[in-house]
Amino acid sequence: MSMLAYGFAQRALVGGLLIAATCSIMSFFIIVRRLAFAGVGVSHAAFGGVAIGVAAGVNPILTAGGFCVLVAGGIGWFSRKGRLHEDTVIGILFAASMALGVLLMSFADAYNQDLLSYLFGSILAMSWTDVVVIAVLTVLSIGFLVLFFKELLFLSFDEETATASGIPVRFVYYGLLVTMALTIVVSIKLVGIVLVSALLVIPGAIGLQLCRNYRGVLVTALIASLASVAAGLYLSFHFDVASGATMVMVQFVLFVLSFALSPRRTYMSRLRRGAAEEPGEGAGQRDDRLPMGTDTVR
Amino acid sequence: MKRTCRVAAFFEGGGGPRTLIELEHVWVDLDGRTVLEDINFSLAAGMFLGIIGPNGAGKTTLLRVILGLVRPARGGVRVMGMNPDELKHELHHIGYVPQNVLFDPMFPVSVFDVVMMGRACCIGPMRFGRKDDREAVEESIRMVGLEGLEHRLIGELSGGQQKRAFLARALCIETRILLLDEPLSGLDLPAQDRFMDLLTDLKRRLGLSVLFVSHDVNVLARYADEMVCINRTMHFHGKPADALGSERLKEAYRCEFDFLVGAGGSGHTGTGD
Repeated sequence: MSMLAYGFAQRALVGGLLIAATCSIMSFFIIVRRLAFAGVGVSHAAFGGVAIGVAAGVNPILTAGGFCVLVAGGIGWFSRKGRLHEDTVIGILFAASMALGVLLMSFADAYNQDLLSYLFGSILAMSWTDVVVIAVLTVLSIGFLVLFFKELLFLSFDEETATASGIPVRFVYYGLLVTMALTIVVSIKLVGIVLVSALLVIPGAIGLQLCRNYRGVLVTALIASLASVAAGLYLSFHFDVASGATMVMVQFVLFVLSFALSPRRTYMSRLRRGAAEEPGEGAGQRDDRLPMGTDTVR
Repeated sequence: MKRTCRVAAFFEGGGGPRTLIELEHVWVDLDGRTVLEDINFSLAAGMFLGIIGPNGAGKTTLLRVILGLVRPARGGVRVMGMNPDELKHELHHIGYVPQNVLFDPMFPVSVFDVVMMGRACCIGPMRFGRKDDREAVEESIRMVGLEGLEHRLIGELSGGQQKRAFLARALCIETRILLLDEPLSGLDLPAQDRFMDLLTDLKRRLGLSVLFVSHDVNVLARYADEMVCINRTMHFHGKPADALGSERLKEAYRCEFDFLVGAGGSGHTGTGD
């Protein structure tokens, strides 16, 4: 029987593809702005937020959303005001949030099956209401990333000149952190707290392995992200294994492939040069995908 | 448009030559420490003003004060007749070339993309570049002689070419004032000469006013109309010719050095010991 005959699979696919689209664009900025550890930190901090929800008896996703936005803002605020490196602040808030989560769970005596679904994701738990929430947050997140794309790119490349040019650097920086937090929260249902950071890093890393310019990186990241979520869902259904973990493993395989086939690898550039030198097969064509790191300085 | 009118009125108004930057008795405190004391100077329209001083003298802070990024504890700053609050909306008339752009060489942006970043303040938030923005970027790339390299990744260019790309980024707006923070650092002597020749040519062609921060007394002695030497406080302000052999410069640097070339002279430049 087709996987899509099941309502939970339909919801998981629609929700998963929306999340994949957001994560792919976000992953580009997370990599170029070097926020990968912030992604790990905020996603694990979500555990504290989930625990607050469980202990207080309200929807844990709502409390996790608020808590993650708070932690993401805290990362920005403490690192800017306290003259601390981002990774130092993330290390502090990450551990404190996890500790808070463990304490609250102990008090609420809530170490149960439900908690595992937040840690590792559960597509069975995804309702159409969740899909609508994911769709709204996806529109907001992608809207922010697209509307402030040039500012985010400038900030990621050269923050000093971006500030001197009158770019609203503080707003854009905090906006990126909050968008990242919201993306993490909506992804928890799909892959869980522990694995969500993979979705926020691997698509961009695949794009950077295969393309030189950010446009190509974004398109490749989007395709890789959508394909891995769809393939992961299909494989997990077919083999009856955890869907979140399968999606992450598909992304990892794609990353390894992209790494091996990257034009940056010396053997790949030799292979292309060899193919170009063969008569009648692209000889004389302009090589516009030179491997980075090679001596192309004139 | 209101934004343009303010600067247009400043330049088109009657009176004598315009003073684009004016600092009066400026004191700056950072982290509870005074880093600049009683700084006074002005930049007239069309002038090439050089700022020299040893490491940690407060040269970059001075540029940040002019850009409105650091507020003085005391004193007045006026740029194109505006105070720092008013200037926030007119930064598209100031081109800034920072000292060192510490970017990842793998950063996936081309020279064109980097120069287009400079247009961000003209385009405005939540809007996208249009045809005239792309034309301004192409023209700017042509002006600095990087045509043909537009689609190269910025990390693939040589140090000198990168500096020219950052100069193009500072020029692709409605630039009236150009602030350069040690743009020659990391360049060999021929590349320094080429950069300075390009800069003086662009200054003449575009009618720019230039504020140039450098360690190298000899370069400024050769190109600048006026020179300011600071080391927390001002040690010298005047014509480069008057600075030659000045004890006040040696006092600022706290060491002995020689000029290798006179003001307006020719020949190679270099720092003395």
